Amino acid sequence: MSTDASVTPPEQGRAPAFTAFRADGGAAPTHAAPIREAQRPTEAAKPAPPEKVIVRNLHFYYKKFEALHGISLALRDKRVTAFIGPSGCGKSTLLRVLNRIYQLYPEQRATGEVIVDGKNILDPGVDLNLLRAKIGMVFQKPTPFPMSIYDNIAFGIRLYEKLPPSELDERVESALRRAALWDEVKDKLKQSGLSLSGGQQQRLCIARAIAVKPEILLLDEPASALDPISTQRIEELIGELKTDYCIAIVTHNMQQAARASDYTAFMYLGELVEFDETEAIFTHPKNKRTEDYITGRFG
Amino acid sequence: MSPYIRRRAVNYTVLALSIGATLFGLVWLAFIFWTLLRNGIGAITPALFAEMTPPPGSQGGLLNAIYGSIVMTVVGTLVGSPIGVLAGTFLAEYGRGNPLAPIVRFINDILLSAPSIIVGLFIYELMVLQMGHFSAWAGSMALAIIVIPVVVRTTEDMLNLVPGSLREAAFALGTPKWKVIVMITYRAAIQGMLTGVMLGVARISGETAPLLFTALNNQFWSTNMNAPMANLPAVIFQFALSPYKDWQSLAWGGALLITVAILILNISARLLANLRGFSK
Amino acid sequence: MVDAVLKETSVAARQNTLDVLFRGATWFFAACVLIILAGVLVSLVVGAVPALTKFGWTFLTSSSWNPVTEVFGAYPAIYGTLVTSTIAMLIGIPVAFGIALFITELCPPWLKRPIGTLIELLAAIPSIIYGIWGLFVFAPFLQETLQPLLIDTLGEIPWIGALFEGPPLGIGILTAGLILAIMVLPFITSVMRDVFETVPTVLKESAYGIGATTWEVVWNIVLPTTRVGVIGGIMLGLGRALGETMAVTFVIGNAHRVKASLLAPGTTISATLANEFTEAVGDIYLSSLFALGFILFVITFIVLAIAKYMLIRLQARAGS
Repeated sequence: MSTDASVTPPEQGRAPAFTAFRADGGAAPTHAAPIREAQRPTEAAKPAPPEKVIVRNLHFYYKKFEALHGISLALRDKRVTAFIGPSGCGKSTLLRVLNRIYQLYPEQRATGEVIVDGKNILDPGVDLNLLRAKIGMVFQKPTPFPMSIYDNIAFGIRLYEKLPPSELDERVESALRRAALWDEVKDKLKQSGLSLSGGQQQRLCIARAIAVKPEILLLDEPASALDPISTQRIEELIGELKTDYCIAIVTHNMQQAARASDYTAFMYLGELVEFDETEAIFTHPKNKRTEDYITGRFG
Repeated sequence: MSPYIRRRAVNYTVLALSIGATLFGLVWLAFIFWTLLRNGIGAITPALFAEMTPPPGSQGGLLNAIYGSIVMTVVGTLVGSPIGVLAGTFLAEYGRGNPLAPIVRFINDILLSAPSIIVGLFIYELMVLQMGHFSAWAGSMALAIIVIPVVVRTTEDMLNLVPGSLREAAFALGTPKWKVIVMITYRAAIQGMLTGVMLGVARISGETAPLLFTALNNQFWSTNMNAPMANLPAVIFQFALSPYKDWQSLAWGGALLITVAILILNISARLLANLRGFSK
Repeated sequence: MVDAVLKETSVAARQNTLDVLFRGATWFFAACVLIILAGVLVSLVVGAVPALTKFGWTFLTSSSWNPVTEVFGAYPAIYGTLVTSTIAMLIGIPVAFGIALFITELCPPWLKRPIGTLIELLAAIPSIIYGIWGLFVFAPFLQETLQPLLIDTLGEIPWIGALFEGPPLGIGILTAGLILAIMVLPFITSVMRDVFETVPTVLKESAYGIGATTWEVVWNIVLPTTRVGVIGGIMLGLGRALGETMAVTFVIGNAHRVKASLLAPGTTISATLANEFTEAVGDIYLSSLFALGFILFVITFIVLAIAKYMLIRLQARAGS
């Protein structure tokens, strides 16, 4: 990927037929309703991409405290879904359920269902390591491993695949290229990952996540610790990556959500208040609280 | 005297006393080092490193004692460090919610400060009596037991310093827990853990009491781990309390050697701990 | 994709086994720490039983120590251990406090690290070095200076004078106590420093803000806040002093006697063990030495357990 500004803006895949899936403001969340496709008269009919992740009645508890109250929604494949809302609304918590990373902490529990490709991943029989190999996550703070740049990327690959060195080199290079980092590091692959700048480290983490060829990417405020230029690069990257992955991104930056996502979920105090196509949420939100948040009246 | 002036006077007195206390501590430190240097430097000759401990009234060196100390320290470290590292790993990585962890931590810290002569008694019962004789193995094991609590403590502390986000990033890739610990967490903490081992080595280098009735001592050159082995502290003990000038001089030389070795280890440990950009 | 998730692949199965093995290994070695303590306790008890059954409670009160008639009593050793440690604490605590005060409140920032390091070096010097230094340098020094002074001044006062009777030998209980003071100094200082530094700066600043002097801030704010930790540090120092062996062995004179005078030679449990263990013949002799070790173990264990408990309480309060 070139680094100059002539890059075309990411294609915002917009299904002309949209589904709205929301809870009424304040009322108990509704259970999973069958998805229906409706036709918009002015656009050519295009099928909406399949639902990759279906969340049903998800409750989450930190010890006795209920952090998520019955969340139900669906993430579509090859699309970016953004989660917005004020601090403490539960968006990061929700993200961390999707790859069951919360399971590292015995005082955290989740009930409900999260269906990925037809199987419930909250089932106790699920192998967590295999699950997480298929669902990648990038965290708020860049977390390069204490090893060389090359090894950072190769680490995840080596976990589950035995590749000859030449193939491994190719995989590393292609991951770095997709993360828009190759040109900057190709001459210093043996240097420590910690020697990179903040923005570069975060792109390294993204490269590391996509190197293992996941199907779903979870991004938890990936640009919040970065400067504006790096932030822009990351957003461009997300737009390109979505052609291959189902992406969920948590962000406290509403403009970023508006720029970079196809669908947006607005959460407040552990509830899903509204979920719709991004354009719809930001131009004519159906819920008063959504409107208040978007216009900056609170949060 | 007005209350304020009195308060000021009290304040100044206390502060002066605290400076005095600091000087008091530093003076003894300087005094000890100076005495060591003055009395020991005369014994630092090539012969010290080439010859064995002599019978009273003759010249000699400390080679067998130096060898014995090094060997037993190394063996003790090699045995004790892995145990300490793994135990410390349990406390840091698996201890959450586990009732065993706070108990082990508590007992470990008590063992850390416990009298080392008691450890000697323990190994005497356990090994010397069972084997029927003193041995360098017994001495090494006594040193290993002294090293373990030091390494447990430093390993746990260093592992706890590794940020949780680094571990989570590894888990998020689907890394199994043992690999997260061994390939990521250890690597991030390796500097601190090595420092801890070095401090453990420094600690056992000077230990006398545990060796007194495990490895005993040996006038002659011996590389037999299954027999009593000479070691610097035991030799210093014997020679210093004797009435022979040659022996006493060798004792000072040995004392200087031990102190220099420990100083080097401590300084290296500190340098290592402060080395930036250490990770590969 | 999810078929791979729910199916047991060989990679995942092997990793899970390794996970269990690794966890088991760390658990086992952590348990080893407990096993070591239990082993120490058991070996001491087993070794001590013959003597304790023979002498019973008189073991603790008898002053006789006769390898020939095989009659042994622990009283002089216990007395020496307690008295030398008490002297060490009486001197060590105020000095450690002064140093901790200096480092945390008075010292210019650039000097803090060096001084802290130097004081910690006192802890790095092994016991045997203190011993040889004590015997050849410190004891003669005291013999020339402090001891005659004490005899001439405090020795004249009735009642207290009994503490300073006898010729200035250089070695003895007082000397051992003084060396112990220097040895435990760095431990107490280090703990005090750490706990003093946990006091929130805002708390101290609000006291300075109403015009309190440094001393008043420390006495009225810092000390009460850190009281539990300070006691923990003191107990830690005491635990170390009780168990110190080589330094004490060199300078205490190794006499199984209890005398009122601090200038007299005496013995401690650890000094007795160091001096006599390898020469002991006869089961009762050896067993009496084990019994001494058992008593020392019990005393230090209690002291160190109290210290640790206090420090845990301080951490809990600081954390919450």
